[in-house]
Amino acid sequence: MLAYIIRRIWQMLPTLLGVVLLVFLLFNWVGGDPAYVLAGKISNPDQIDNIRRQLGVDQPYYIQLGIFLKQIVTADFGSSWSTNEKVSHILATRLGPSMTVLLPLLFLETIVAIALALAVAYVRGSLTDRMVMIICTVGLSVSILVYIIVFQYVFAYKFGWFPVQGWGNDVWENLWKYSALPILILLVVSIAPNLRLYRTFVLDEINQDYVRTARAKGVGENRIMWVHVLRNASIPMITHVMAALPGLLIGAFLVERFFSIPGIGREVILAVERSDFPVIKALTVYVAIATMVVNLLADLMYKAVDPRVQLK
Amino acid sequence: MRRALLLVALLVLGSAHAAEPKKVVRDIIPVAETGFDPAATSDLYSAAIMQAVFERLYTYDYLARPAKVVPMLAESMPVITDNGRTYTIPIRRGVHFSADPVFGGKPRELTAEDFVYSLKRVMDPTIRSPWSFLLDGKLVGLDEEAAAAKQSGRFDYDRKIAGIEAVDRYTLRLRLKEPDYNLPYVLAHESTSAVAREVIAKYAESDGRAMSNPVGTGPYVLAEWIRSSKIVLEANPGFRDMKWNWTAQEPGDEKIVAQMQGKKLPVVDRVEVYVMEEDQARWLAFRNGEVDLMNMEGPLAPNAIEGGKLRPELAAKGVQLQRIVDPEINFIYWNMQDPDLGGFTKEKIALRRALAMSYDVDEDIRVIRNGQAVAATTPIPPGVVGHFPDWKPTTKYDPVGANALLDRFGYKRGADGWRSFLNGKPLIVNYTSRPDSLGRQQEELVKKSYEAIGVRMDSRKEKFPEQLKLEKQCKLLSRTNAWIADYPDADNFMQLWYSPNIQQSNGGCVTMPEYDALYRKSIRLPPGPERQALYRDMIRLLEVYAPMRLTISRYRNQLVQPRVLGYKKHPILASTWQYLDVGADTR
Repeated sequence: MLAYIIRRIWQMLPTLLGVVLLVFLLFNWVGGDPAYVLAGKISNPDQIDNIRRQLGVDQPYYIQLGIFLKQIVTADFGSSWSTNEKVSHILATRLGPSMTVLLPLLFLETIVAIALALAVAYVRGSLTDRMVMIICTVGLSVSILVYIIVFQYVFAYKFGWFPVQGWGNDVWENLWKYSALPILILLVVSIAPNLRLYRTFVLDEINQDYVRTARAKGVGENRIMWVHVLRNASIPMITHVMAALPGLLIGAFLVERFFSIPGIGREVILAVERSDFPVIKALTVYVAIATMVVNLLADLMYKAVDPRVQLK
Repeated sequence: MRRALLLVALLVLGSAHAAEPKKVVRDIIPVAETGFDPAATSDLYSAAIMQAVFERLYTYDYLARPAKVVPMLAESMPVITDNGRTYTIPIRRGVHFSADPVFGGKPRELTAEDFVYSLKRVMDPTIRSPWSFLLDGKLVGLDEEAAAAKQSGRFDYDRKIAGIEAVDRYTLRLRLKEPDYNLPYVLAHESTSAVAREVIAKYAESDGRAMSNPVGTGPYVLAEWIRSSKIVLEANPGFRDMKWNWTAQEPGDEKIVAQMQGKKLPVVDRVEVYVMEEDQARWLAFRNGEVDLMNMEGPLAPNAIEGGKLRPELAAKGVQLQRIVDPEINFIYWNMQDPDLGGFTKEKIALRRALAMSYDVDEDIRVIRNGQAVAATTPIPPGVVGHFPDWKPTTKYDPVGANALLDRFGYKRGADGWRSFLNGKPLIVNYTSRPDSLGRQQEELVKKSYEAIGVRMDSRKEKFPEQLKLEKQCKLLSRTNAWIADYPDADNFMQLWYSPNIQQSNGGCVTMPEYDALYRKSIRLPPGPERQALYRDMIRLLEVYAPMRLTISRYRNQLVQPRVLGYKKHPILASTWQYLDVGADTR
């Protein structure tokens, strides 16, 4: 097992290098020169050169790439070109608000979608099953933007059940007061695709021989569904949930913008709008690392859930 | 018994007084702030915060229009001598910076030396101030000091220069290379706000910028800051004794004066500023009473404004609408260095004039701006000193005339209906826009205009930084540019076509010797009839040679909740919370 983990970590290096090269190429190709914006409305070529020199973007590409690699090794991406805020501080302060929304969401959407998937799979082929699938298909067809606009208008403005927007310093206030509606919206948006997907996973298992054997042996239907079927269906479910984890690092920029949540998603958009390369670099590298680590964890979890899985 | 009752009564009254709710005003900014270093920050929304925390030598009269410079930290207007080359400015005594640990618990008085330091900072190349153009080439010895700093990597703040001098503790003397009648505007700009050297020394990063710890002499201090989300200002307890004392200047001001006259500033104890990027969030928050002030821009405006007036349902609730034309212009320019479009031969002038005449500004206002703009008739917008209110522009929307002009000068139509240059090359004009909805709409309207006169348009999408880069290299052929006043004087607009400003602000890379000569004369004159005569000639040159087509100036629609007292939208000041009062929160 240890040898497998070491081998996987070793394999991450070329992948990460590929990501670094891609980000570097993309930024230098389409990212725009930040010096022209930072220089202000009226600036002369000397001032532009001075800014480029200070930012280091006047250096040959190989030197800039070397600095980028050094930043990854030292985990110090410097400061934002726009705000002078340390990139490490940006990540540390913006991840909290994003997690306040996304962690409860991930928990809720997983539990609710699995429970509903088992329920509709249990009555597969019935009118209820078909109605749920139709509702899911309709729900999937509607853009998240529509959900946000309608829910914000109806529940925050018309009914006044939630604030239209806001954020404070208190974690509980943020969770119960400001995050409730964004979580509700994202939950509604995510239930439909997750329910359909998990239902398929469950249906794949329901027709297996071991289920028939369990029924023949007189095992209760609830035990069959919640223990036998769920355990076997959990491997693709784990894959799906784990694949969503790195996404936590880039937040949910649409709800963050609409509800003025100072999360990492908004910061990503701001960084792109401002051509703020240090922030973009750091986020991309951390998301790439998180994706690779989570993939490794997912593989290890397969083994824990199903002893038949062999890690090679 | 009576004494005991009296004591109880006093305690109750005392606690009631202690529990008296703070006066809070809530405002919105639609784009996240960047930071609060006056010399280093250039965005409008950070400026709004800085104008409440820091103070300048001069500011603007809250009620006067066009904006009028008045003393702030200066005791009076400058004494100008030496044929306009020397400004002597007495500094207000007894003004203190807000409390900060760096002052060791002692009050720190503002002195003339603080302005010497603050003005030098604007030109420090390490700080890379986006406002250095305000002082560039103006003060004796300052450019040389900046050049030396560029070489050595360190600005020598201790070295005396003749251009910025503290004559004594409370007197600042500025010496100019040439007379400059705009200097008071520069000294009213937030980039020249007073900062304390020891504060910058303590809080600045390695690049000399202190973006996170604003310590000024202003009416508010930064109390809470959730970056990109919420900024809370609280009244500066050490703010000097200052009363609301503005004089009514135009109809409607009397009510404001009656509401506010004589109140100790700042009246509002706490200002909460929320960053809300999305239109819907801003609008619903305002309708919900979660915020007190809101700017209604293009797409949102029809929700609140109908025919230039507040919708009846909002008016019935007492919501106030303050509507001004922004001190800005929008214009489409054509690169005057382009071999096909630039130049001063008759056929090139005719081509540009035809392109200008093909553009329907009314449609721009109606379709792109939702009616929230007026046609820009001169390069000097309303609210700016030098504006010509009765100007009759010679360039008008006239596609028939434009077609006739092109026919007359030999831009022939082919069998397919498209025109070609005189040498037979297809007449295609490249237009660059931003990859957003406004850019797309502008591009579509320009394309439609050109097509109506048989000119093909080749569109190109570039992000804003890339547009600036190409523009400053004179490699951008045409785009819609917008320019908002840095200071409310015509000079800030007329310099846009001055040839030495190519690669700086002259985006169309225009070189017109006649224009340049008139401009050079204009900067030596104070505002007045003589300068206006020069501007009149310069505007006519722009109309005749058509290096650009003026399009619109936007309305700024400010919605104000009924409980806010004393509000009047200012065309230049980004924030005026210190001049407001608020009634009870009726949410």
